[in-house]
Amino acid sequence: MSARDNILNRVRDAVRTLAPRPPEPSASPIWPPVGDLEARFREEFTLLRGEVVESLPEFLAGFAKIATDGSELAGVGNAPVREADLGVTACECLVAQTGSVVVTCRSAAERALSALPPVHLVMARRGQIVLDLDAAIAVLRRRYDDSVPSLVSVISGPSRTADIEKVLVMGAHGPKRLALYFIE
Amino acid sequence: MNANALQFQRAADAKAFDLRHRAIVAKNTGTYHAAVARGLARFADWETARRRAAQVKWETINHLDRYLEEFERNVLARGGHVHWAETATEASQLVVSLAHQHGVRKVVKSKSMVTEEIHLNPALEAAGVTVLETDLGEYICQLRGEPPYHIVTPVMHLNREQIAQTFHEKFGSSTDATAEQLAGIACEKLRAEFLSADMGISGANFAFADTGMIGLCTNEGNGRLTTALPKLHVAIVGIEKLVPRIEDLALFWPLLATHGTGQFLTVYNTLIGGSEGFHVILLDNGRTKLLADAEQRDALHCIRCGACLNACPVYKTVGGHSYGTTYQGPLGSMITPHLRGVADWSHLSYASSLCGKCADVCPVHIPIHHHLLHNRRNSVRQHCDSPLQRIAFRLWLWAMQSPGRYALGGKLARLGMRLGLAKPLAKAWTKGRDLPEPPREAFRDWWRNQ
Repeated sequence: MSARDNILNRVRDAVRTLAPRPPEPSASPIWPPVGDLEARFREEFTLLRGEVVESLPEFLAGFAKIATDGSELAGVGNAPVREADLGVTACECLVAQTGSVVVTCRSAAERALSALPPVHLVMARRGQIVLDLDAAIAVLRRRYDDSVPSLVSVISGPSRTADIEKVLVMGAHGPKRLALYFIE
Repeated sequence: MNANALQFQRAADAKAFDLRHRAIVAKNTGTYHAAVARGLARFADWETARRRAAQVKWETINHLDRYLEEFERNVLARGGHVHWAETATEASQLVVSLAHQHGVRKVVKSKSMVTEEIHLNPALEAAGVTVLETDLGEYICQLRGEPPYHIVTPVMHLNREQIAQTFHEKFGSSTDATAEQLAGIACEKLRAEFLSADMGISGANFAFADTGMIGLCTNEGNGRLTTALPKLHVAIVGIEKLVPRIEDLALFWPLLATHGTGQFLTVYNTLIGGSEGFHVILLDNGRTKLLADAEQRDALHCIRCGACLNACPVYKTVGGHSYGTTYQGPLGSMITPHLRGVADWSHLSYASSLCGKCADVCPVHIPIHHHLLHNRRNSVRQHCDSPLQRIAFRLWLWAMQSPGRYALGGKLARLGMRLGLAKPLAKAWTKGRDLPEPPREAFRDWWRNQ
């Protein structure tokens, strides 16, 4: 018998008797309502220390080696991701309730694009703002059904750590800055 | 008393009166509680949220065979690999043989308690593989050669000065370095390691059956780099980490973050699914024993947020290292006797005032303090208590059953205290505290005279 069979057999034996079911929860909403989606997104995104870029050329001028996923900014840069000082990606959607950007990718090289360079710029459209995480997952389901890309990252602000005395330090292993530009 | 119980008592004794330890932990948990209060204020109905989470975990754990098979099927369908490990040794040997097969010399790890549980680092090092912890807290633990003090906050017991001292000894940096400078040094050292590592190892906060993906929640971005840069990614996943669908993350991610750190979401909440270089190791290591106990099965609902540790007056007094277990605090006391043996680990279930704060703060509504009582009962049933304890409780029971005997007992106790006979008996108590003066009269006499 393999370890797999042994474990699954033990699990099957164990759950033959069900544990008492916990009481049914109420149907009331868990989260308070969100008013204007864009206003809320901007508020949360900024609280998380994300930066909304107003002038794209001005912003891009600050970087010498730009790596992109080629989706929205083709031609802006083609630096290898390991050397880039800016990584540019598209996104699946933006989450108003949490101020998060949802990034997906299918290849290993793309995985590093939003994690390795010191600055990450997200290209988005205002129409991509959705209410909450439920809505964000619904976007993924509609687009990909059961074949969700091999990486989905819900990114909420630039990287940080508070491991030393709970003192917040911005910029750990991931990007120190997270920027967002609305194409339309 | 067994060796583990003795170790626990000695370590707890030493920590309980260490005032510096107490001050550091109080500062740390104080900041945590303030952040969690802000986090909870973002819920309209937290009680409903945690009851829904309990329902989802109940459904998964009570049909775990189905969800495990579904998860496996979906990982394979994506081109990933699934391995099963019955014990800690089997799991760490699986990782070692994967490392050998692929000629791995260097491993980067993202924070994972399950790799502590299976003693993975020593196994890899014995096989000649260099292992680097990349979470800042874990990195500090590794530099100091200490196990994590807390499942979420590995160096909660250290202040900045102590950490700066460690960095000074290892890297010659200033003993006055700020938290920001210390984090900067660690990130700089680790960046080159990320780029040259052959294998990344992570745990999983969740495993989603419907897509064969794992969920990782981190703040630093080390989890992202660990799983993006090396060719191979090995995720070690306890079988209880399953949830049915990625839709469930909308509930579990905020609950985990709110109770872990007070954030609404950690910075990187990432779903990772297979490709050729993706290996999942599904680990039992005693979990099916707990699963077989329908009465205590919901202890497997735990999502390892650490809230019960931060709430527990005993944990904060005796400190995380005293437990001698991978999982500390109320959660550790609850599950360790099941995972590693009633005889060896039941003493932890007595390290509780049964105040119930752990259950109050639990985001998946586990009645933790009830489980500690069940553990105590199981330990007595299996005759793991001492003969002296047995006699004492028999005597107590006998006295409690008659008002006359109870009153007589009280009288004798008060007389004994007045004559100073109690002092030698109460040595363990008086080591760090005063013995109260005996009351002048019994409560019942006082009540009658009102």
